[in-house]
Amino acid sequence: MMLKYEIKKVFSRTGGKISLFLLVFLLLLTCYFATSISYVNEKGESENGYRAVQKLRQAKKEWAGLLDDEKLRAVLTENARINAMPEGQAENNVTLSNITYGRKQGFSDISSLISHAFADGFREYDYYKADSLCAEQAGNFYPNRIRLLRDWLYDEAKDQFSETEKTWIIAQYEALETPYIYDYSDGWQQLFEFSPTIIMITMLVLGYLVSGIFSNEFSLKADSVFYSSVYGRNKAVSAKVKAGICITTTLYFIMILLYTVIVLLYLGADSMNHPIQISWKNWKTFYNLTFGQEYLLIVMGGYIGCLFISLLTMFISAKTKSSILAVIVPFILVFLPSFVSFFQSSVVNKILGLLPDRLLQISTAINYFDLYSIGQTVVPAIPILFLLYGILSIALMPVIYLEYKQKQLG
Amino acid sequence: MELKMNTLTKEFQTLRAVNGISYTMHNGVYGLLGVNGAGKTTLMRMLCTLMKPDSGSITWNGVDIFKLDGEYRKLLGYLPQEFGFYPEFSVYDYLMYIASIKGLRPTTAKKRIETLLSQVGMSKARNKKMKKLSGGMKRRVGIAQAMLNDPKILILDEPTAGLDPNERIRFRNLISELSEDRMVLLSTHIVSDIEYIANEILLMKDGSLTLSGTAEEIIASIPEKIWNCTVFKSEISNYMKQYKISNIKTVADGAQLRVISLESPCEHAVLESATLEDAFLYYFGEKAEVNEYDAEI
Ligand SMILES: Nc1ncnc2c1ncn2[C@@H]1O[C@H](COP(=O)(O)OP(=O)(O)O)[C@@H](O)[C@H]1O
Ligand SMILES: [Mg+2]
Repeated sequence: MMLKYEIKKVFSRTGGKISLFLLVFLLLLTCYFATSISYVNEKGESENGYRAVQKLRQAKKEWAGLLDDEKLRAVLTENARINAMPEGQAENNVTLSNITYGRKQGFSDISSLISHAFADGFREYDYYKADSLCAEQAGNFYPNRIRLLRDWLYDEAKDQFSETEKTWIIAQYEALETPYIYDYSDGWQQLFEFSPTIIMITMLVLGYLVSGIFSNEFSLKADSVFYSSVYGRNKAVSAKVKAGICITTTLYFIMILLYTVIVLLYLGADSMNHPIQISWKNWKTFYNLTFGQEYLLIVMGGYIGCLFISLLTMFISAKTKSSILAVIVPFILVFLPSFVSFFQSSVVNKILGLLPDRLLQISTAINYFDLYSIGQTVVPAIPILFLLYGILSIALMPVIYLEYKQKQLG
Repeated sequence: MELKMNTLTKEFQTLRAVNGISYTMHNGVYGLLGVNGAGKTTLMRMLCTLMKPDSGSITWNGVDIFKLDGEYRKLLGYLPQEFGFYPEFSVYDYLMYIASIKGLRPTTAKKRIETLLSQVGMSKARNKKMKKLSGGMKRRVGIAQAMLNDPKILILDEPTAGLDPNERIRFRNLISELSEDRMVLLSTHIVSDIEYIANEILLMKDGSLTLSGTAEEIIASIPEKIWNCTVFKSEISNYMKQYKISNIKTVADGAQLRVISLESPCEHAVLESATLEDAFLYYFGEKAEVNEYDAEI
């Protein structure tokens, strides 16, 4: 009963209703951007919409399967064949180069990987690399990934990591099963690409919603009746904590579920069990995961991050009796790290790597080389983030309760 | 059934809002009378466990109320001076929520709310939003919420402030109706609010209890007499300086003053019997706030 009415307090406010509408609107907007994929047809024109998605998917699926030397040779050969065509020779004609681009769409993912694998350095990327390779070099594709990493670790980045950490990263690279299995994966990629957007939007709205749960009793002057009731210093307080957790959990998962269903229904969920390294964005990551596993990490990381930030917002709300101060918390936690990251320093980076905003953007964090050494054990950032903020969230619950329970009224 | 305050003191910075009050209450209606700033609200908020005293204690049947915690609050009904609520809630939802934090089961709560809504005359407005209610209606919901748990101790802080005269009378009747079998502490700075319904009146001034007793006892305690004096208008200010004047009534060729004094203040002064208003003036040194309409009734 208490829980029901606590939740009702939040959503009966005009602001509560407006934020729900805002969430729906921003969800649809994000889905729109996430599903905006274009396909270039034979005439070099861009097509959009569901038909275009189907055509692109079809084109890429023709290259699906084991990404072995044979497949790589086939890509290089096909690339050379297309380049040799009349349209491929025209250098400064936009339409003709679009036609050429269109012809290469099916293996564009693979040639992006080639651009990484055969780049001059670990941090380089040569878009036209496939054009300058001959089919015989295909065999270096997987070894190159490790060679470039090793060169980078012992040269440019030699002071950035300890010896143990270097060994650990290389071991992660070597542990990844090759050859990869390639398939169309734009559905997951787009889903991941916009996941920080949807999660941060949800977080900010959640922060607003929960910011008043504790402080509003005071600003509405309802505190006297509240605290003079039997449960005013026990059950009614835990009902408030529960209401905050309930609202955060329910809204978060509804948003994620809707976002996932819309994007994947539209773009397709192919490649769920394939390694994320088949996407050029994740070529370098040392987290050996499938798309399905990364999705679970994103969803659970986002949840732990949102829960933690919600609880911190509630704590400030309970502590300061001010919903304004409380609602600032999520904004600081979400936006401040991106400003601080301008100061490039390894200490700053070590700290930034463990801030809760990283949990809201696992799809980005997965590409960072954030490592932490505890003695001789090397631990990457993501498991630490999960553990750290999981524990902090659980610890905050009784802290909020005790803080609010013992309040003396002025 | 005994609520006892022992040398209760509460300070705000340098100000002693409540200054060493000792008093014991049993069943019945207690009227706490004092001007604004006397410390009534502060005293009541300590009795409601909202703040702890700086020194002294409050006990219920011998046990400290802050130790009793929930056990004590279970017996408590409180209408604060500034009655705040959830503006978007309907009257019914508001009462259901308060019932839940007062530990009533939903089925019990529903029955209790029906009874109380009709008792305070709010049955028809049950689905109205709290923010749409008039001042008097809000106050009635305020009383209803205080009564939800059928409290043994009912504390009402200026329940009639800001109400129009008719409503004020209805309120007085309602309170005396609800006061059966419980301990009611009602604060006000308006004498007529408690003159007839309080069994016991407590005069509070600058954080201390100046005097307590029945209305008759308090009236009888005035060591001076009440005189009715007719004077010229030009003389009024002189009298005001010299005497405590509890009322001034303009008449055709001057003014009738109600003077508190040991000796007759003028020729032809008529001796009158003292009222609680006179006592209020005598003890607080300022004129009681009298509602024009109230005076007629
Ligand atoms: N929270 C507070 N902080 C500082 N001073 C206060 C506070 N509450 C009350 N006071 C002061 O204490 C005195 C008694 O106030 P109060 O108990 O509200 O009196 P009453 O209810 O009789 O009008 C007043 O002078 C008031 O200004
Ligand atoms: Mg007061």
